[in-house]
Amino acid sequence: MRLNPLTLRKLRRFREIKRGYYSFLILTVLTLLSLFAELLINDKPLVIRYEGQLTFPTYGSVMLGRDFGVKGELANVPVDYRELERRFRAEGNGNFIIMPPVPYNPYENTEVEGIFRAAAPDLDNKHYLGTDTTGRDILARLFYGFRTAILFAMAFTVLTYVIGIALGCLMGYFGGLFDLLFQRIIEIWSNIPFLYMVIIVFSVIPATFSIPARITILLVIMVLFSWTFMTYYMRTETYREKARDYALAARVLGASTPRIIFRHILPNTISTIVTFIPFTVVAAITAITALDFLGWGLPPPTPSIGELLKQGTANLTTAPWIVTSAFIALVVILTLVTFIGEAIREAFDPKKFTIYR
Amino acid sequence: MKIEYRLSVAIWILGALTIAGCGQDAGDAVTTTTAAPDNSAEVQEHYRTKVSLPPEIWEALEKGQITQEEVDARAAKGEFPKFFRFATPADIPEGLNWQDGSDLPAFASPEAKKGGTFYTWVQDFPRTLRRFGPDANGSFRPFILDDVVMQLGKRHPNDTSITESGFRYFPGIAREWALDKENATVYVRIDPDARFSDGEPITADDMLFMFFLYQSPHIRAPWYNNWYNRKYTNITKYDELTFSISQPEVRPDLLFKVMELEPLPEHFYKELGEDYVERYQWRFVPTSGAYEVLPENLKKGQSITLTRVKDWWAEDKKFWRNRYNFDRIHFTVIRDIPKAFESFRKGELDRFAATLPEYWYEKMPDDSEEVQRGYVHKAVFYNDRPRPTYGLWINEARPLLDNRDVRVGIQYATNWDLVIEKYFRGDYQRMRTNSDGYGEFTHPTLKSREFSVDKALEHFSKAGFTSRGPDGILVNDAGERLSFTLTTGYQNFRDVLTILAEEAAKAGLEYRLEILDQTASWKKVQEKKHDIAFTAFSVSAEMYPRYWDFGHSVNAYDRAFLPDGSPNPDRKLKVQTNNLQSLAYAELDAMIEAYRASSDAEEMKQLAFQMEEFLYEDASFVPGFVIPFYRVLYWRWFRFPEDFNAKLSRDPDQYFLSWIDTEMKKETLEARKSGKTFPPVIEAYDQYRTD
Repeated sequence: MRLNPLTLRKLRRFREIKRGYYSFLILTVLTLLSLFAELLINDKPLVIRYEGQLTFPTYGSVMLGRDFGVKGELANVPVDYRELERRFRAEGNGNFIIMPPVPYNPYENTEVEGIFRAAAPDLDNKHYLGTDTTGRDILARLFYGFRTAILFAMAFTVLTYVIGIALGCLMGYFGGLFDLLFQRIIEIWSNIPFLYMVIIVFSVIPATFSIPARITILLVIMVLFSWTFMTYYMRTETYREKARDYALAARVLGASTPRIIFRHILPNTISTIVTFIPFTVVAAITAITALDFLGWGLPPPTPSIGELLKQGTANLTTAPWIVTSAFIALVVILTLVTFIGEAIREAFDPKKFTIYR
Repeated sequence: MKIEYRLSVAIWILGALTIAGCGQDAGDAVTTTTAAPDNSAEVQEHYRTKVSLPPEIWEALEKGQITQEEVDARAAKGEFPKFFRFATPADIPEGLNWQDGSDLPAFASPEAKKGGTFYTWVQDFPRTLRRFGPDANGSFRPFILDDVVMQLGKRHPNDTSITESGFRYFPGIAREWALDKENATVYVRIDPDARFSDGEPITADDMLFMFFLYQSPHIRAPWYNNWYNRKYTNITKYDELTFSISQPEVRPDLLFKVMELEPLPEHFYKELGEDYVERYQWRFVPTSGAYEVLPENLKKGQSITLTRVKDWWAEDKKFWRNRYNFDRIHFTVIRDIPKAFESFRKGELDRFAATLPEYWYEKMPDDSEEVQRGYVHKAVFYNDRPRPTYGLWINEARPLLDNRDVRVGIQYATNWDLVIEKYFRGDYQRMRTNSDGYGEFTHPTLKSREFSVDKALEHFSKAGFTSRGPDGILVNDAGERLSFTLTTGYQNFRDVLTILAEEAAKAGLEYRLEILDQTASWKKVQEKKHDIAFTAFSVSAEMYPRYWDFGHSVNAYDRAFLPDGSPNPDRKLKVQTNNLQSLAYAELDAMIEAYRASSDAEEMKQLAFQMEEFLYEDASFVPGFVIPFYRVLYWRWFRFPEDFNAKLSRDPDQYFLSWIDTEMKKETLEARKSGKTFPPVIEAYDQYRTD
């Protein structure tokens, strides 16, 4: 792919802004890692060798105790690999298990002194950030919660932009009655409080919907009520650009409307779009966290940062590690995004480069 | 009146946890531009015409065998006896055995001091000050009704023995009473001192009026309408203070059903009509009890204060002395439990309920500073009363759940034992049956099924669920997953359900959790739209458990059976009843009817046991846990009697035996500043412990 030399210059400039660039790298790596969270944080092992057979159960079906020669009550229960690992090690007959770095899944309750309760960070038990009030590993819940939040935010951004940019451009380009009509519609639409809509819609969705389905519904509602803000900017930008000579020239040369909008006007408004992206991402992460905090977000026991924050604030004095972990995680994510945004804004600053063509 | 709501919503078991609004704008005191309506004529007409229908007519009506018009026509011909009767003192039969409970011991502490303000909290501002009708069954109701308003008599909370005539009662509004067992009639003489808080004397007319009101459709409370039409057949007034009430059948608890009634102020409800719900929304009903709500003490959405009635008429009566000691009870609305706890910790609240292990063990453990310095006392009190029925209510009308093997499998796949041991720290107990805590009426040996993956798998495989899918959940040959929605309105038990779901997955059963707010969840359950519901009925100290409400087919379906006794293929689920399991078995119906009709306690016990065994086999209720105690944290100026509380007490306020020691409060507050300490007090009162 050949990039426009101006874009290349912008990217180079972005790379030069170290803080933003490194933030971008860190967030990208975290996001990529989170896509493979099952390999890092899971109660299923990476590799098992049992009686000469190698298996990789991470993405496979549930295995029962009897598959590994467990007898009695536990034979028909999904096998506890941590227990199995201890057994293999004790037997020492060539069977082995390699567990992920954090050998817990985000749903399982682990006990402390025989009780499901919050436990402080404990390196020996590999609870690196401690456990929440029912003994679930906080790192696991944070990481899986992060994955949901960041993917959600990315999808949210793409969708709102597609709708917002398309409509905004059309309004700006056609103007007149079309513009007038849509502006009024948008004004009415944007006055519907989205939080209430989420609460109402979520209270009527039956629990039979799977968790990914519920996340999708949440996404759709949020997009439906959030695309409007982008149209304002795109509309004014397009209005401005379409009156410029290059746009008029393109028209005189007989370029079609879509060509003018997408090939000529849109690239010239890119700086506006790009500058807003980080804000949108931040808004999306905050929104989903806030909804979970209020208890209107994802259904329990789905791991989420908001749910952890809620637990943390309810147990400030007795289990401060919950709120600390969740809070720091949230701050770090939002700061990274903000740094990236700052760098993008600077790199794409139209005062530095203009792209009239 | 409490005979009922324990059966309707269990809202006040743990306090309502609704997020919705606080009723701030729910209709203020009605502005009367026109003259206030007067319902005297309507009342008199009702007294004149109301008849009582025999039980078989009610049943026929319910089953649709006869119509209301036919019944009205027969009533007009004078076929049925009158409900209200006016007689003279000479009509009172001779030789009645009048009782006044004076042989019972008083149970309040003579050390109690009057005075002070008790600062406490509620989670939701009450939606109304009405005692019945929509929204009246909130968590605040005990303070304006159940625990404060005086009834004709109250069951002695420590002497729980059952005599020939039923429970032991001590006098409230009644001065004396007599039971005519043969005629299922109770005669009552009202205490001439009895007054409502607005100074009006309480008379037999207020009792007659109570029936009028509860039978009236205006109050929009079908439960009351049904109960007061069906459970009583007659009230007769002999003079201003004497009346008798009759019931349709001779039962062991005749006395219970009369003594726990309370007269209603006729003069207050003069304006009763179609608009009752709005008109009376924020009017405090004049009370016979010790506490009232004055209009200036109602700060909507923020706080509500009860004040002791001036010169309360029962202040020096034997069983009411030394009780209701606080001058004022101030309730602040705090929506968040952790916040309320912090408020308590600062000393802004005098007492905090710590039955949840989180507060007892984690947030204020025995070695915490406040406790060790003796500022905050800790007490656990074992009570002995029927228990709220926390468990999983399986709706047999849903697909797959109509299969008994699936239900038995669910019983074995639900790991309550683990929850009790690891989450409740072994403090709570496993519930055995739906009717624990009824003494002799509770099945002596039946036990709930234990958690066992093998047994669960065995039963699931009988139902066709033989192989596990890739996620470990069982599937049958048709590709259906063994997955059910588990609905609850108890937000604070969400962790419990999470644990249950994790454990059930081990046996190949999936619980999809649906945690709603109280109101939404209860609505869903009442519309019978649940697969499995985790909920509980609050139970009051009745003599024997109820089966009709929970188990009779008329509460499951409209016309459950065809005339030949086979299930009606077109039957429709009946909503708004307490038969949450949709139980419809002719065999069970027969036992329930025999039980309802029986007058012999021994026979009823046998029937109760048989029904429990039947329900055990049916396996549609997974017994959860019972909490055999309540735990409280309280500042040292908040005082309890030496034996802490009464055996039947549901919570520390039920009998109002505590008091505030204002001197001690001053002393403690000063000590906190100066650093002076007191010996720590951590007590367990287990004199009524049963296990």
